[in-house]
Amino acid sequence: RTLALKMAPLRRSSTLRLTGLLCLSFLVFFSRGFASHDVVSEKSSGTIQEDSHSQANSTAHKKTFPVLSFNYEHVRTPFEISLWILLALFMKLGFHIIPTVSHIVPESCLLIFVGLLVGGIIKATGEQPPVLDSNLFFLYLLPPIILDAGYFLPMRSFTENIGTILMFAVVGTLWNVFFIGGMMYAVCQIDAAELAHVDLLSCLLFGSIISAVDPVSVLAVFEEIHINELLHILVFGESLLNDAVTVVLYHLFKEFAHEQTITVTGAILGVISFFVVSLGGVMVGVIYGIVGAFTSRFTSYSRVIEPLFVFLYSYMAYLSAEIFHLSGIMSLIACGVIMRPYVEANISHKSYTTVKYFLKMWSSVSDTLIFIFLGVSTVAGPHTWNWIFVIFTVIFCLVSRVLGVIGLTAFINKFRIVKLTKKDQFIIAYGGLRGAIAFSLGFLLDNDEIKNLFLTAIITVIFFTVFVQGMTIRPLVELLAVKKKKESKESINEEIHTQFLDHLLTGIEDICGHYGHHHWKDKLNRFNKTYVKRWLIAGERSTEPQLISFYNKMELKQAMMMVESGSAAKLPTIVSTVSIRNVPTKGAPKPSRAISKSREEEIRRLLRANLQKTRQRLRSYSRYELLNDPLEDNISEARFRKQREMERRVMTEPLEIEPKCNKGVYQTVRGLSILHQNRFRTH
Amino acid sequence: MGSSSSSRNKIPNAQELMDQTGFSSAHLLRLYDRFECLDRDNRGYLSPDDFEAVGGLAMNPIGGRIIDAFFSSGQDTVDFSSFVRILAHFRPTDRNRNKEGTQQELPNSRTRKLKFAFQLYDLDRDGKISREELLQVLRAMLGLQVTEEQLQSIAERAIQEADLDKDDAISFDEFKKSLEKVDIDTKMSIGFLK
Repeated sequence: RTLALKMAPLRRSSTLRLTGLLCLSFLVFFSRGFASHDVVSEKSSGTIQEDSHSQANSTAHKKTFPVLSFNYEHVRTPFEISLWILLALFMKLGFHIIPTVSHIVPESCLLIFVGLLVGGIIKATGEQPPVLDSNLFFLYLLPPIILDAGYFLPMRSFTENIGTILMFAVVGTLWNVFFIGGMMYAVCQIDAAELAHVDLLSCLLFGSIISAVDPVSVLAVFEEIHINELLHILVFGESLLNDAVTVVLYHLFKEFAHEQTITVTGAILGVISFFVVSLGGVMVGVIYGIVGAFTSRFTSYSRVIEPLFVFLYSYMAYLSAEIFHLSGIMSLIACGVIMRPYVEANISHKSYTTVKYFLKMWSSVSDTLIFIFLGVSTVAGPHTWNWIFVIFTVIFCLVSRVLGVIGLTAFINKFRIVKLTKKDQFIIAYGGLRGAIAFSLGFLLDNDEIKNLFLTAIITVIFFTVFVQGMTIRPLVELLAVKKKKESKESINEEIHTQFLDHLLTGIEDICGHYGHHHWKDKLNRFNKTYVKRWLIAGERSTEPQLISFYNKMELKQAMMMVESGSAAKLPTIVSTVSIRNVPTKGAPKPSRAISKSREEEIRRLLRANLQKTRQRLRSYSRYELLNDPLEDNISEARFRKQREMERRVMTEPLEIEPKCNKGVYQTVRGLSILHQNRFRTH
Repeated sequence: MGSSSSSRNKIPNAQELMDQTGFSSAHLLRLYDRFECLDRDNRGYLSPDDFEAVGGLAMNPIGGRIIDAFFSSGQDTVDFSSFVRILAHFRPTDRNRNKEGTQQELPNSRTRKLKFAFQLYDLDRDGKISREELLQVLRAMLGLQVTEEQLQSIAERAIQEADLDKDDAISFDEFKKSLEKVDIDTKMSIGFLK
């Protein structure tokens, strides 16, 4: 045994070495792949020319049929895209296989580092590495991450803290912009910096780019430290909602920089524009969300395409908002939030799982690609390094963030029920990470010398926040003993009691005459129940109370777990019938006669066998329909319910049946026939 | 400052109330105004129909229970000090207070809040939520939209989950345990009463 133990670490280290070698070889292979495409294209064009040449020459000769030919050109673009995505996936895999590194360094840092490596290798071969194209970023890489975040946004904590989040997002970002812009302008006035050509408007523009907290980076770092829900939703919510402010200020200052003047009307228009951008974005999202929910009402006719509706409506919401320069991020979030409760009530269980996993998959890939590209772009881009500018940018970013958080918290705490402590404030300030959005916005600037200066500074700030702050936040969280996220299993008790408390608090608020949080939530729920649900949810589920849906979901999950484990485990209601019988109930005393154990076993076996049979029956493969697997779809839920109730009926009623024992058998047969009927009905 | 001291004289036992509940004098004043507003006939005490006149309570599934909670056993009138004492449960807890036993006596501690909620379930005051009591609450909250069988199975499941000593009822400790992940301090607090 000691020998085996000694072998184990050896094997592990050799696996590590092997993985490391594999990663390295993949890196080299991929970068050569990208770099050499130009060489290959030349070669292939050369062969084409040769071919035509030889064809011209050999028209007299018989043309030999090419058994094997090489044509890279026409698959070049999708091939390269696939290679990049594969690289991202292998990197992700690699970091999780090697556990030691991923404990110390967050994934985003490692990915940027890989990007730097790849960029370096490409540059070393003399090629120009690809840069993170802003179009690519804003249209393809960013939306999946935002949709994933918005769709699974914890609505309860989000709405409870919405005031705080808005304050941080709007006022905090404004403060950051003007503070950084102003201070950098002051810095540019220093003669030693040789930056006199940077005027106030450019500095303010720079401030607007660099100030916004980035949702991608925040997600990437905060996800690994499992911080408590309040802090997570505060920082993350802020990073989402500050998009409107960023968009408005960016376009505003860009316009002003063109005109080289600031007018009062311009400033007023800017304020109006802020409301238009944010509220307009939300409205676009809401419209698409409602249309999406309405569509999902009819998708029972073709379940396979259900997830696509969710994705496409959300993506269209994002693009439509971008057409009018409204805030695409807020539109996407609004669409996901509005659509979710209704769509989930309508779509099948399989589609729900598909939506969940596709969103996670896409956002994961996007996130990885963004960080790798950031690294590559750093190597690629033309840089103008100015020590003073860069260092002061980093310093002022930190200072303004800390001051902003402290000042705002002092103000917000007057209105909050649960105050934010100093520890909370520190984490919020420290979690203000910048990321790829800042880089892409900077990349969209007009090409001049200032742009390179700005880009360099932006990249430095991003690196600083992601590397330094990202790496140190985990030990700091441990050090400060910040509350972590509690892993909670779904509990029907919690749900019941929480709803009870909601009603209680609404009542107390009514008595106090105080129209608080609960009052409005109650009003919204009532409105939702009476008007909205009827239109957007199909069938009988439109009148289903929330508690019932929750309970059904739990039961379904448990039933699936049970069947998947393969064992005929005790169904909970069988246990309960035992307890019902044993406890003396108030009211009319029931005759406490038990059905014989053997009868009980027989009935149970019959019912379960029937359930197994309906599952194993397979139909032939059909491309346009999913197999009618009884574990999915509402049909199966109803069947489970029926089976459960049937068993209960069979178990409890025989208490009175002893003289009429045929009834018990009759019920069993009736129950089985119901199952049979359902089976035939589903054809 | 002068007006507050004179109006504080309107409130009987103001200082004692403030000590026991932790409300400030400004809060007490606001609550007194509300009390007078609810007390339409100016009798100095509230009766059940005063409460029922409050809009919204009629639509509340547990409105009746909430009203009954104000009236301590037997009495059918609520004077101001009882009114304040009940509402004191919903005062936000002060996180920064040192917890040296003083916290436990205030009505807005987490345990006291939970105890208040528990008593709304446990109407017969036997210290446990029986299956029948749970069913009554579920029936009230879910109304006529569900079948009796669904109610039974939910109640069954709830008791199974929470009941650790297998006495087929939920005691106060089990109730507390099932809510340990919920932030009661935030959930059962009203900002008005800060």
